[in-house]
Amino acid sequence: MTDHSLIERVLAGEASAERELYDAHVDRVFRLAYRMAGESDLAQDFVQETFIKVYSRLATFRGESALSTWITSIALSVALNGLRKVKRFRQREAGLEEAVTVTETRRRTEPDLHIRMRDAIDKLPEGYRTVFVMHDMEGYTHEEIGSALGVQSGTSKAQLFRARAKLREALADFAGESAS
Amino acid sequence: MIEDPLDPRLRDAAADYNKPPETPREAMWAAIQSGRTRPARRPIWKPLLWGGLAAAAVLVLGILIGRALMSGSHAPVNPPIAGPVNPDTATGDNAFKVAAVQYLSQSEVFLTTFRADLKQGTLDQNAGRRAQELLSSNRLLMDSPAARDPKTKALLQDLELVLAEIAQMTDQTDKNEANMIDDGLEQGGLLSRLRTAVPAGQPTVGL
Repeated sequence: MTDHSLIERVLAGEASAERELYDAHVDRVFRLAYRMAGESDLAQDFVQETFIKVYSRLATFRGESALSTWITSIALSVALNGLRKVKRFRQREAGLEEAVTVTETRRRTEPDLHIRMRDAIDKLPEGYRTVFVMHDMEGYTHEEIGSALGVQSGTSKAQLFRARAKLREALADFAGESAS
Repeated sequence: MIEDPLDPRLRDAAADYNKPPETPREAMWAAIQSGRTRPARRPIWKPLLWGGLAAAAVLVLGILIGRALMSGSHAPVNPPIAGPVNPDTATGDNAFKVAAVQYLSQSEVFLTTFRADLKQGTLDQNAGRRAQELLSSNRLLMDSPAARDPKTKALLQDLELVLAEIAQMTDQTDKNEANMIDDGLEQGGLLSRLRTAVPAGQPTVGL
């Protein structure tokens, strides 16, 4: 089944085709959404919104890229916008909490590599983190990332290079252990 | 760009970052089916006049790049603007640098206007198209000698991401989503970096 014929069936209102399209792409979209969100509920919200947009905009898909790339670009847009909203909301909440728990001592995490790596990835600028997650974790090519983000593949490569450099810098104290 | 992977230990640690569980297919499918019965959001964009300005900007950039390509080593470049041009090395490279400064200046004006419009709730319907045009110019510059300077290249790449976001805005984009782009702009300090890169008094031809 080609993308083209599947799209035609969906646009013709065939319910089973809608489900086929969903089944063909949902794993990839969910994996990316979860990697970006880190929470199941949030990731599921992103996936749902993505597919609702995919169905409503399918008639505008011109086939300039693969259907999977087009869906990925929608998923990314949904996830990034959603995460910004969540971040802003949580920052406001954190501000309020901080105001009433000034004396509370901040708990330090153990210097575990995995925890430090998580913090370091979380602290990457949005563009770096997106490219790093897509390329190094989910195996997208720079061409796919470029198409999904609407940037050149060279930009994706540059962002990945800088992301890795930042992670190495943040985890420099593990370098010795790593080399030994 | 050289491939420079993380060492295996760091790579393994990174692989555990937000490791996805099994996809909850049926639960999400049910939610999608129910979500699709809700009414669609209405667009917020109001039309303004960007088209002519955008065309002029692209034309100017094209002229500058064309002039640089034609000039070679025998014809001196006369940049149409006051900028950081060394007359001793005023060759094609400098013309590209001038084009880059001009482009960055236009981008700064565009993004400043975008933010101001956003705050006033009068976001231009053609902002996406204008961003797309600036994006095209960005790509020309990234492939030009102007991008040899690492700072300029990094600025062009970060600018490309923001412009791509604005360019992808559609009439389904709501004000909240546009505000998120604005937040991203603020957090990355892109506008202040653009202002630093553009010499004071730089005219904004085409805008």
